[in-house]
This record gives sequence, C-alpha cells and structure tokens, in this order.
Amino acid sequence: MKGKAVFLTVLLGFALAQGRLEAGLYAAPPGLAPALEAGLSLEEGEVFLRLAPFRAALGYGGSLALGPLGFFAFGLQGEVGEGGPGGVAYGEGGAGPFALEGRIGYRPKRALPLFPEEGLFGRLALRYRPAPKEVLGLELARATPPRPFSFGLQPGLSPWRLEGSYAFREGATYTFGAGLAPGPYALLGWKGEVGEGGEVLELSLRLGGTNRLEGALFLGEASLFLTLSYPWAGSVVAWLGDLGLEAGYEGAPYAWVRYAWRWP
Amino acid sequence: MRKLAAFLGLVGLLSLGLAQSAQDILDRVEKNLSTPWQATVQGRIQGPGGEEELLARVYALPQARLFRVEFLKPGSLEGNFTVITEKEVWNYLYLTNQLVISPREKAKIQGLGFAPQGLGDLKALSEQVELRLEGEVRLPEGVAWKLVGRSKENQGFAAMELYILKADPRPLRFVFLDEKGKVLADLKVVEFKRTNLTEAQLKRYPKDAQVVRR
Repeated sequence: MKGKAVFLTVLLGFALAQGRLEAGLYAAPPGLAPALEAGLSLEEGEVFLRLAPFRAALGYGGSLALGPLGFFAFGLQGEVGEGGPGGVAYGEGGAGPFALEGRIGYRPKRALPLFPEEGLFGRLALRYRPAPKEVLGLELARATPPRPFSFGLQPGLSPWRLEGSYAFREGATYTFGAGLAPGPYALLGWKGEVGEGGEVLELSLRLGGTNRLEGALFLGEASLFLTLSYPWAGSVVAWLGDLGLEAGYEGAPYAWVRYAWRWP
Repeated sequence: MRKLAAFLGLVGLLSLGLAQSAQDILDRVEKNLSTPWQATVQGRIQGPGGEEELLARVYALPQARLFRVEFLKPGSLEGNFTVITEKEVWNYLYLTNQLVISPREKAKIQGLGFAPQGLGDLKALSEQVELRLEGEVRLPEGVAWKLVGRSKENQGFAAMELYILKADPRPLRFVFLDEKGKVLADLKVVEFKRTNLTEAQLKRYPKDAQVVRR
C-alpha cells in the first residue's frame, strides 16, 4: 500500500513537472527490444532514466548559459546491467571563438538501441574560430558516433578516428579535412541553406582509410539523415515531428521506431 | 526675499518636472517607435577578449514586443544573434550551432557589460534600471535628453546613461558603467530606419540548429 502511494506520488511529480518521455521499439535478429527514456527537468538541469533490455542508466545533465557569448552542457550517467556496471561523463559547449566536446565512458557489453557503445569509448573534439568565417577542428574518437543520438545509431563507424578539418563559409560552408581511421582518408563537406525558411542540407564524404557518405536534410518539422559506408553498412533516419523512424544495416538489418513526448 | 522664494519655488517646480519626465520621455519613445524599425549599433564593449569593437543590427517589431539583435563584430560573435520575445530570450550560437531558449527571467547576461535585450526594448530596460532625467546635451544628431540610472539588480552593469533624440524621440547612445563608474560599453545608434518587418523574419534560425530549452 505504502509502495503504491510512493509510486503514485512519483508519477504525479513527473506529470506536474516539466519533462520528456521517449518510448521506442527496436527490431533486429533475433527479436524485438523495447526502449524507454524519461527526463525530469529540475530548477537547473535534468534527471534522466534510460531503460533497454538488460541495461539501465540513471543520470544528470546540467548546463550553463552565457547569453550570446556561449553555452556549456555537462552530464553524468551511471549504469547497471549485463556484464557489470558502466558509466558515461560528458561536457560540451562553446564560448567566444572556442568550442569543445568531450565524452568518455565504459560499458562491458552494448545494449541496443540506447547503449550502442561497448568497452572503453570516448570522443574529444575541439574547434577554434580564427576568423569570423573560418573554423579549425580536431577530433579524436574511439568507438563512438560523432553525431548526437537524434541522428540515429550511425552504423559502420571505424573503431578509431583522428581527424583534422578546416571549414570556411562563403554563402555555404565548405569543409576540407584528413584523418586516420586507422588508414589515412580525406574529408570533403558541404553545408548550406536550401530554402527560404532556414532549411539546411548537409553532406560529407570520407574516402580512403574509411569510406563513408553522410547526408542530412533539415526542414523544420521534418528531418532526414542518411549514412552509407563501405564495408557495407548504412541507415536512413526520418524525424517527423516527434516521431523517429530508422532503418539500417550493419551485418544484419535493423529498425527502430520511437516517439517523444514533452510536457507541459 | 520674496524674489528668492519665488526663484526657489521655480527651481523646485523645475526639478520636480525633470524628475517626472524620465518616464514621460520613455513613453514618448515608446509611442514614437510603435511601428517596425531597424538600426545599427556600434561601439566598444568588454567582450570575451577584453575591450572589443561591437557592431550589431537591431530589428524591432514593437507591437509584438519582438526584437532581434544580430552580432557582426567582434569576430568571435559574428553569426550569433539574440531574439527577445514577450516571454523568452533565444540565443543562437554559430560555432556550436545551438539555439538556447531561456525564460526572460532566467536569461540575465553576465560578462558582456551590457544588456543586448535593452538595445531594442527600452520598456524592458526601464524596468531594470531606475532612470531619471539629468538634462539636455547637444549631440551630432541634435539635442538629446540625457537619462541616467542605476541597475535595480545585477544585469552585468551597475549604472547606465541613455541619450534620447529630442526631435524624434528614439535612443541615440547607451553607456553602461560598472560600480566604480568605469565604462563597460559605449554604444551609438548609427543607422536608424523605419521598415517593414515580419515576425517570421525576426524569429528565423537555421533549421539544423540544436534547440536547447532551459
């Protein structure tokens, strides 16, 4: 009885506070896996919970806003599940001409779709803006995708990646770069507005030690992401408002459907 | 003796009149700037790299209480912009491609030495600063009222001076000062024009930006 009251109080707390809930279903051989992510906004920051078969995480994410000067977000998540405990820490943001993204974590065994990384994984990306229209970037990553989770599972990543890039903006943004993954490769990128309302198309191609084409189209209410890499792996992701649809292939086909609620 | 009393009375009346008219002047500005306008603001600020030049475009849709400040200088802020709506402040950051949305009360800006919100929205500024009329001064644009005041709460500056053009009531110059009277930002309105603007233009942002709600 007491447990029920506590549960109802917690549920009511969630309903009254500002929060989000993302529920999904992941399908890949041999079967289906449900996935749930819930976040509860606090005065400063958010407490979140992630659940997928045989792994659960509890975490806190906070942020610091510096008005037009910059923004910094940080977080910590602790995990329990198959193979033992794990955790992730991250900090990312920018101020003035500098931006940084740092993420490090450990997990004994992956649990798709919410916990795609395995072993020791991490990423450090630095960006510096020497002139208003130019950005220099340096990135070192191990076994973790370069894009946020909303871009999907991003299959076909190389285990290691060290990349340097130079981007300049002249109407559109052009990116040139080179990296090791572990073999040397070249990077070409283009990003620009394709509509009157701020719609954006982004394309990047990596050839050599890693072979990968990435495309993204942002239309506001809808977004589309495409990833294609060789040896063959790839995915197509569509976000239609709060509905996310993903289909991909990496050794075997998979699909992921998710829906996000936000309140109030 | 009677003359002196009359003179003192007149001074009293005048000072009362001056004390009352800061609000009156701000009301006149509000009335004068009730249709869409845009301006360029130029000057010196205490930016991320010490004292820096600031160049920004201000767009205003006063009837919707909607304002947009686009930064052109310093270089590290180029491409960044701030949108002020009735309830929220949006800050777009070019380098990280993020749109950070905060409720107005949470969006106090420290470390810039001035409040970008105030450049367009004098009404909001006058709620944060207790302004009074100090007198009239002659500026290149014409005779201007000089309003001075202290910040009611910590806005990143302690006091400010505001110059309003008398012939066409609108702001000409903003000076933000710290506790010791050191100038944190000295900004002049160099180009002003009434123009057609829409809500969609002022709220425009790249659709690939990561939207962060605080």
